[in-house]
Amino acid sequence: MAVSPASPPAWAPRVCAGLAAANVRHIVYVPDNPLSHLLDVLAREYPQVHRTLATREEEAVGIAAGLYLGGVRPAVLMQSSGLGNCANAVASLLAAYQIPVVFVMSMRGDPGEWNAAQVPMGRAIRPLLDALGVPFASIDAAEEAESTVRAMCDTAFSVRFPAAVLLPRRLTTA
Amino acid sequence: MTRREATGRLVARLRDHAVVASLGHPAYDLFLAGDRPANFYTWGSMGLTSSIALGIALARPDCPVVALDGDGSLLMNLGSLATIGACSPANLLVVVWDNEQYGTTGGQPTATSLGADLAAAARAMGLDATAVTTAEQFDRALDRADESRRATVIVAKVEESIPGGRPPLDCVFIKQRFMAAIGACEPGTRGAGA
Repeated sequence: MAVSPASPPAWAPRVCAGLAAANVRHIVYVPDNPLSHLLDVLAREYPQVHRTLATREEEAVGIAAGLYLGGVRPAVLMQSSGLGNCANAVASLLAAYQIPVVFVMSMRGDPGEWNAAQVPMGRAIRPLLDALGVPFASIDAAEEAESTVRAMCDTAFSVRFPAAVLLPRRLTTA
Repeated sequence: MTRREATGRLVARLRDHAVVASLGHPAYDLFLAGDRPANFYTWGSMGLTSSIALGIALARPDCPVVALDGDGSLLMNLGSLATIGACSPANLLVVVWDNEQYGTTGGQPTATSLGADLAAAARAMGLDATAVTTAEQFDRALDRADESRRATVIVAKVEESIPGGRPPLDCVFIKQRFMAAIGACEPGTRGAGA
């Protein structure tokens, strides 16, 4: 159950601070347990950042691309398994048109996983991002969350190419 | 009514609209009916036309936005209707060219040829949706869309017609030209002064 505690885990406000510092103004998301902390912090601390729920990750990429075309810096929040649902959109829309969308992905199938069905896709995430040419960084400690998110966003929007920030289970389930 | 004819009727009414066209024949016909900088031609990401248009409409509430989708494309991303229904920006019009086939890939039949009703699906998602089959009905539906206070869907039954031209292939050119046309120019693309 997605029950958010009164006080979010330390990494969550720092990820949000990094997004806000990079002037991300609209979040498109397909929800997940760890991501609910980010959505809670955004709603409470950053009401100027819009949030739009998508039905599927591929759709989220399309909406985020449109936001960028309209002059708004977007980020997509999703579980890592969703990368498999949107790989063609990342390649033929974001990469081909050089549209920067920053992904914040809560990891499934990485160390700490309990569900065997999540493991094969979890193993594929980094090779798939490499194959798509999408740079990524993993946040392994809360202290580095803001600077890592900020740096990935700044480079993505400056060089006009998507980028991904991974939230491993050892961070989000600690 | 052919898709080419219907596209021409729509383009003749455009002013400062942003238009997003689905890859293949819908984009080719938009280009042939009148290339303009505020046309965003997709060359891939089949299914995402209405989603891209939604993003533009949310970013730019001042800018009227039209999506030119196909039946096969929208069937790939029906969830988009739920999201557009929930957001319902008044400045968004989704036109679906329903020729009951995958026209660009050789004319294989789609589910709408077997009875799938995209206008009914859109209405079920809370959208203001109309199905039209004639040019006069299409014009009237466009008139109503201009006055609507929520997102509108027009499903236009059209005959397939083979387009005799193609839009520019340079995706980055399409993007930069589009963003400049709607006043969302990317910082740095034109250099900085001394």
